[in-house]
Amino acid sequence: MIMETEDLKLQVKKQIVQFLNLMTVKPEDIKDDEPLFGEGLGLDSIDSIELIVLLSREYGITIQDPKEGRKILVDVNTMVGYIEKHRTK
Amino acid sequence: MSDIVVTGLGIISAIGNSVNENREALINGFCGISTLENFPSRFSGVLPCGEIKISTEELKQKLAATQPGVTRTDLLCLHAFRQAIEDAGLTTEEIESPDTAFINGNTVGGMCLTDELYHDANKHEQGSEYLGSYDCSSVTLSIQAQYKMQGPASTINTACSSSANAIMFGARLIQNGFAKRAIVGGVDSLAKFTLNGFNSLHILSPALCKPFDKDRQGLNLGEGAAFLILEKEEDAAGKNIHARLSGYSNTNDAYHPSSLSPAGDGPYLAMKIALESAGLLPQEIDFINTHGTGTENNDEVESKAMIRIFEIIPTFSSTKSNIGHTLGAAGAIEAVYSILNLKHQEIYPSLNFNEPQADTGLVPVREYKQVHLKHIMSNSFGFGGNCSSLIFSKV
Amino acid sequence: MFYIQESTCISSQSTFLNKINLLEYQVPEGNKFSVKEPSYEDIPEKILRRMGKAVRLGVGAAMPLIAGSGNPDGIIIGTANGGMEDCIKFLNQIIEYKEGLLTPTNFVQSTANAVAGQVGMLLKNNGYNITHVHRGHSFENAMLDAAMHLAQYPDARLLLGAVDEISAYNYNIDLLAGWYKTTAINPAEIYKSDKPGSYPGEGSAMFIVDNKKQQGSVRIDALKTITSNDPQLVRHRFHEFITLNNLQNDPPGLYLSGENGDSRMMHFYEACETQIEKVPVARFKHISGEFATASAIGLWLSAEILRSQEVPVHMWKHQQPNPMATQRHPLHKILIYNNHKALQHSFMLCSIDL
Repeated sequence: MIMETEDLKLQVKKQIVQFLNLMTVKPEDIKDDEPLFGEGLGLDSIDSIELIVLLSREYGITIQDPKEGRKILVDVNTMVGYIEKHRTK
Repeated sequence: MSDIVVTGLGIISAIGNSVNENREALINGFCGISTLENFPSRFSGVLPCGEIKISTEELKQKLAATQPGVTRTDLLCLHAFRQAIEDAGLTTEEIESPDTAFINGNTVGGMCLTDELYHDANKHEQGSEYLGSYDCSSVTLSIQAQYKMQGPASTINTACSSSANAIMFGARLIQNGFAKRAIVGGVDSLAKFTLNGFNSLHILSPALCKPFDKDRQGLNLGEGAAFLILEKEEDAAGKNIHARLSGYSNTNDAYHPSSLSPAGDGPYLAMKIALESAGLLPQEIDFINTHGTGTENNDEVESKAMIRIFEIIPTFSSTKSNIGHTLGAAGAIEAVYSILNLKHQEIYPSLNFNEPQADTGLVPVREYKQVHLKHIMSNSFGFGGNCSSLIFSKV
Repeated sequence: MFYIQESTCISSQSTFLNKINLLEYQVPEGNKFSVKEPSYEDIPEKILRRMGKAVRLGVGAAMPLIAGSGNPDGIIIGTANGGMEDCIKFLNQIIEYKEGLLTPTNFVQSTANAVAGQVGMLLKNNGYNITHVHRGHSFENAMLDAAMHLAQYPDARLLLGAVDEISAYNYNIDLLAGWYKTTAINPAEIYKSDKPGSYPGEGSAMFIVDNKKQQGSVRIDALKTITSNDPQLVRHRFHEFITLNNLQNDPPGLYLSGENGDSRMMHFYEACETQIEKVPVARFKHISGEFATASAIGLWLSAEILRSQEVPVHMWKHQQPNPMATQRHPLHKILIYNNHKALQHSFMLCSIDL
């Protein structure tokens, strides 16, 4: 089933919150273009590894190098764009 | 405070089962890192590890330690412990004495037994023979029981600096009058748990580790054990004294659970305070056995911290290039290697190094040399920001 | 040895911060003395989200203490199992995903020094940082470490503490090994049991310690640990401890016993108790449960009793007034005897100047 981009964005936001146990963040409050690392959501290097695992488990996407991962995991927009292009699940 | 000296050594690693074997291998630049054989894993035949090529069964037979619940970690510990007490000529009475402390650094415990632990942790059926063997203290307690030890005992787990901290704790017990002698060191065995743990952090190298090299890709895990016998110098008259423990310190980097701060505050402070405790100036250190894991983060930060402390960086190496990163055992194994440097007035080549990091330019020693050595520093930096530094001196 | 200036405790009872109420106890559900976790206001959410229960309990108890007294010179923690829960969660991932792509948080949080490391990180504390994991002597070794540090650095102030959790996993392991009863807990009946097994507990106790004698500070006078499964040896060492500390001439006002309802331990407790017959006895494991670092809870309770000069009625072993005991008013000194798994024993002596 092909998911609409907007629905996928919300799904990804929910997964980020759940996977990283962001206890006080509501998925719908994460802006599409809010930086995931540094400012914005303020995630760190361990989170980037966790999100790479998320992409693998949920979408069948393999990213070998965490540094490459950071280029994809800029914000929800880039993440979802990458998922739509490369998902195998 | 009394001077603390080392009167016994015992070791087992991927490059030898005794002090002499380890020394021969170090002199010859032998690399004990190969692919995993001893237990089935996705990484067998793939990831380079400093594996001791003796199976657990073989170790049980050699050490006559076949009672239920014995783990590989127990066996490696027993091997090195026995060597150390024999080397120091400790009598049964001394070992059993309430004056003899036993301090053991360990991170894996019995968790090398992945399948048994999975079963015992999750299932409600009959438990395995290892129910009492999983925690780190089980290794220490089993030696205490075997040797009827009545003195102070502890197990320390501060990740990669565990056995360096064990050495320090033992020394302080003697200096504060809680023990007359201390058997100190550590052990860790290779385990699916740690292999997968470090792999999940993307810090394992797919090739042989290259400490301080600009193209380093991470660390190789290893296994091993080492123990030292510590005594007050005035109690060691007539004994074979290997070296003096002249300084030590432990600090916290306080930056991140699994990586060091960019400026290396923890390592810097550990080295600085160790020097102060030894009453030495930086320029009096002749050689450093670095933590040197081969990860991007450690080697960069350790280099920067060394540059902060030392106007002229002493000759240094990483013996993890020979045996991999032995986690809880690393501090003690590297202490033994530092003592070998001092005893024999020689330094061993650091392996797999080609080009220095661009921003620090530090180059480890790459060949065997006989040199005059008086004071050696040995550093260990662990998860949770735990940073320890030991200084050994020639007697 | 040193002084306790302040302390906190998170346990299955009302022991934390301004909710301390020791006069009544709460009956736990089922067979475990499980903690009802507080809201951890001093731990930033970004850090809290990663923490397993043991780390939350440890850091959660430490942070308010430090808010009051400032950054210590060192952090010394005892924990037998540390992040065992996270260890097993990571292990389960290894099995489930066949050593494939795994999330690292469980592994990083599983290191036993996660509590000491996290506190250090939150405080940006570069001082001495150590974790002792010697099962039933984890806390005692931490105390000894603190004592030595304070002897060497007389002006230092340290955070000293202990924590252990009941995780589904280490509970299962100890259950299979026969350490626990599975019947529901009735605190009033625990000590009457003639069966093996105790009830698991969890919690953390944290202390700010230094060398300064102040109003309300509790002094640790003596500490002795023994590793033995021989009650006669333990009796002998207890006798030595009593003599060394002149307790036959200047007895404590209270003897706090770590008796836990496990019938296999009783000969140890009897061997010691018979040597201080005139001293009133209290017990604490009907409110803490049994775990490797429960002696830290015992010490915390002792400090509270010495400061408040009140022993909760439910803690007395014998109905008061005990015709056998000599009452000591006010209560200056408490002697604690505890053992874990009938192998690791400790005697602690603490006191207060009133």
